Amino acid sequence: MTGWLTEAVPRGRVAAFRTLVYLFVAADLVVFTPWVRTRVDVPGDLYQPLLIGRLLPLPTPTPALVGVIFWVLVAVSLLASTGRAPRLLGWTVFALYFEWMIVAMSYGKVDHDRVGLLVALAVLPTAGRARHGDPTRTEAGGWALRVTQIAVICTYFLAAWAKFRFGGLDWATGSVLARAIIRRGTDLADVIAQVPHLLIVAQFGILAFELLSPLVFLLPERWRLAMVGFFYSFHLVTIATITISFAPHLVAMTGFLPLEKVRPIALLRRRRSPAPLGQLGEHPLAAADDDLGAAPLGQA
Amino acid sequence: MFLPYRHQPMETLTTRGRAVRLGATLLGLALLLLGTVRGTDDDFPFGPFRMYSTSDPPDAPAPDTRVEGVDRTGAVVPLGQDATGIRRAEIEGQQDRYAADPGLLRRVAEAFAERHPAAPALVEVRIVVRWYDIQGGRPTGRWTDRTAVRWKTIP
Repeated sequence: MTGWLTEAVPRGRVAAFRTLVYLFVAADLVVFTPWVRTRVDVPGDLYQPLLIGRLLPLPTPTPALVGVIFWVLVAVSLLASTGRAPRLLGWTVFALYFEWMIVAMSYGKVDHDRVGLLVALAVLPTAGRARHGDPTRTEAGGWALRVTQIAVICTYFLAAWAKFRFGGLDWATGSVLARAIIRRGTDLADVIAQVPHLLIVAQFGILAFELLSPLVFLLPERWRLAMVGFFYSFHLVTIATITISFAPHLVAMTGFLPLEKVRPIALLRRRRSPAPLGQLGEHPLAAADDDLGAAPLGQA
Repeated sequence: MFLPYRHQPMETLTTRGRAVRLGATLLGLALLLLGTVRGTDDDFPFGPFRMYSTSDPPDAPAPDTRVEGVDRTGAVVPLGQDATGIRRAEIEGQQDRYAADPGLLRRVAEAFAERHPAAPALVEVRIVVRWYDIQGGRPTGRWTDRTAVRWKTIP
């Protein structure tokens, strides 16, 4: 069990995941949840702090507080995405993003798409230094990716559980998708809604896939990737029909993928500045060994 | 050919590091399970994943909530997220509070004024629910509007 939980992965994968997650945090602030900044315009007595906000001595958000968190978090997460000082910067991003989320969720609506991302942010600082392209395997990094995967699958499996708890067995035959389409459906969704019984069949399908999602851990590598591909296709359909993106969840789910094989910067460098022939002949892969010049050296 | 000495080296965990990680994993899972079984949204981030988890009979009408205002020229002003910074789901999440104390809608008018200093002042803010007809799990295209909460300035 602990062997599986801490199954080693290449440091290059941890480095790629780290860069992606911290870049997303910056993008999330600017692109996906800019409405959090508009809390500034919402009067303080609509602030209804969550349990965690009442347990921790957190202040009622003010324009100054939200503004400071926003700018510091953008700066620190961009720095963290280089892989430098993974513990110091990683814990700082986690603490600030968590406070950002508490502010975001304390005005009457809680989102359910970011447990995977919060877990990733909580464990990445423990994964240690990792350089892009480094094939050395790491158990600390393996654990960080594994628990992120578990959180992602919990989001599906426990969502099915919540449907039984709040909706009961009638959920599958109810009108939940029809209601979602009315509230936020696209033109495509309006077409789909007219097909008899299709929405009910889709509801059974959603329940089945959520309940079966833990099987992803039992599949051999190739089929596991195929199943993760299916998860992504499910979200593609929900974006196209009811405009729900689940973006943070989609980023956390990349923890299932062999990210170390995607090396955009190394690829760009090789294209732009081909090494002199003599060097290239001796070390054809030399250019692939280094990436994100700022990335720290491994512990060697 | 398999050359063990050329195999990639591995950075291993200490026994303690392994035990701490196992403990943290189990604690996190236990909290998530507890939140799913007994928790509410208030327990974020360990609350239940209850997005789209409610069930409604296949023929029950579906609500589509909006907030709108009337300014002193008599024009109707949509008060969505872009106009006030308040998300629709946040209005719905606190709708009972607004119903119990319609004066709270003054805050929505203030949020609007904050973002649109040049716009004519609002004299009325209301939460309107458009009920869409559903038959057999499919929308029929018919609807009726009902005002759920209304707040007016005293002239």
